[in-house]
Order: sequence, then structure tokens, then C-alpha cells
Amino acid sequence: MEFTALFLLVLAVMVVSWWGSHRLALALFSIVLVASVATYLHHATDTLNLSF
Amino acid sequence: MNRSISVTLNALGLYGIALVLVGAFAAQILLNELPCPLCLLQRVLFSMLAIGPILNIRFGPRPGHYALSLLTAVVGAVVSARQILLHIMPRDPGYGSALLGYHYYTWALIGFAAAIVLLFDDRLRDVAAARPTGPFAVAAVLLVIGLTAINVISTLLECGFGACPDNPTLYELLRRLP
Repeated sequence: MEFTALFLLVLAVMVVSWWGSHRLALALFSIVLVASVATYLHHATDTLNLSF
Repeated sequence: MNRSISVTLNALGLYGIALVLVGAFAAQILLNELPCPLCLLQRVLFSMLAIGPILNIRFGPRPGHYALSLLTAVVGAVVSARQILLHIMPRDPGYGSALLGYHYYTWALIGFAAAIVLLFDDRLRDVAAARPTGPFAVAAVLLVIGLTAINVISTLLECGFGACPDNPTLYELLRRLP
């Protein structure tokens, strides 16, 4: 579900970037970037079986 | 760099991103390989790479717009490198099939790294005013927006309303249909 929400947010940023205001696009972009990093950190809990 | 060359290069960048998104869909549909959570995140980040060029085409090229793409490319490179490291041990078959010897997340790292290199160009500091754009650039913008909209639907079908499984084998939402 979180990925559907992320894609939806990216779509919203694109639509605002093309048809809406510059400031709103930048604000929405910051939200998506933070949400993407948070999603990555949430999914980066698997152990890396590295041998070095 | 004059404004029309800059817009053309941004439009070409958008077509490149569209090619990556279409390639990912081709693997998903033709090979029936559903994207894992990290794969989906890399797709999200490839879509986000398009926002800088869209803003450049609409409002005129500005260094800040390129910075958005640069930030996205760095995050994308971290995510794809993480997935490579998850499958780095000997005899690990990796996730999904390989294309020309590399898995998709390896290609993704190459793609994000290429974006970072391309975005470090002194000429990108030039600022130009916004002007009406031609059909080539408009088509590129609409193509990427359309592909992102298709990704919304595809991800909803795959994951449904819950968390996406680590190793998806079927479309969760379609499975629930009677």
C-alpha cells in the first residue's frame, strides 16, 4: 500500500509541476523525497550477509 | 546553453526515464516477474527523476530543478546498491531474471550513477526564462505522467491495500476477486 501511495504522490507532484504552481510542486517533492527515504529505511531491516 | 537546447535535452532525459519504466513493465508483464518492495522503490525514484526535467520544461531551466534530480539519483543509487548487496553472496541467484548479464537492480544502479554524472555539468547552472514548449517536449512530459499513472494502478493491483510481500508471485487485488 505504501508504494501505491508513493506513486500517487509522485503523480501529484508531476501534475502540479506541469499544470500547477512552482512552490507547491517543490513542497510536494520534498514530502515525497522524505517519504521515499523513510520507506527505504523501513524496508532496510534485512541483514546483509556480507563476508568482508 | 541556450534555452531550446536545454529543453530538448530535458525532453530526451524524460524519454530515457520513460524507456526505463517501459522496460520494467515489459519484464513484469511478458516474464510475469512482479517487482519486490525495493524494486518498486527504485521505480518510484526513477519516476521522481522526471520531476526536475518537467519543472525545467515548464518554468525554464534552473539549477534548483537539476538539484532535485540529483538528490533523487543519489537516493536511487543507495537503494539499488542495497539490493545488490542483499544478493552479493556466492551462489545467490539474485532476484528476477538477468538482462544482458545484469539483474534489473544492477542496471538501476548504473542508471542512477549515469544520472548523477550527467547532472554534474557546469552548463546546467545557466538560468533561462520559461517559454512555450514544442510538441516533442510536451509529449515527453505526458508520456512520463501516463506511465506513472499506470504504475499507480499496477502497484495497487500487486500489493492491494496491505503491505507488499517480499517475494510477490501474484496480483494481490486480483486474487481477492471472486
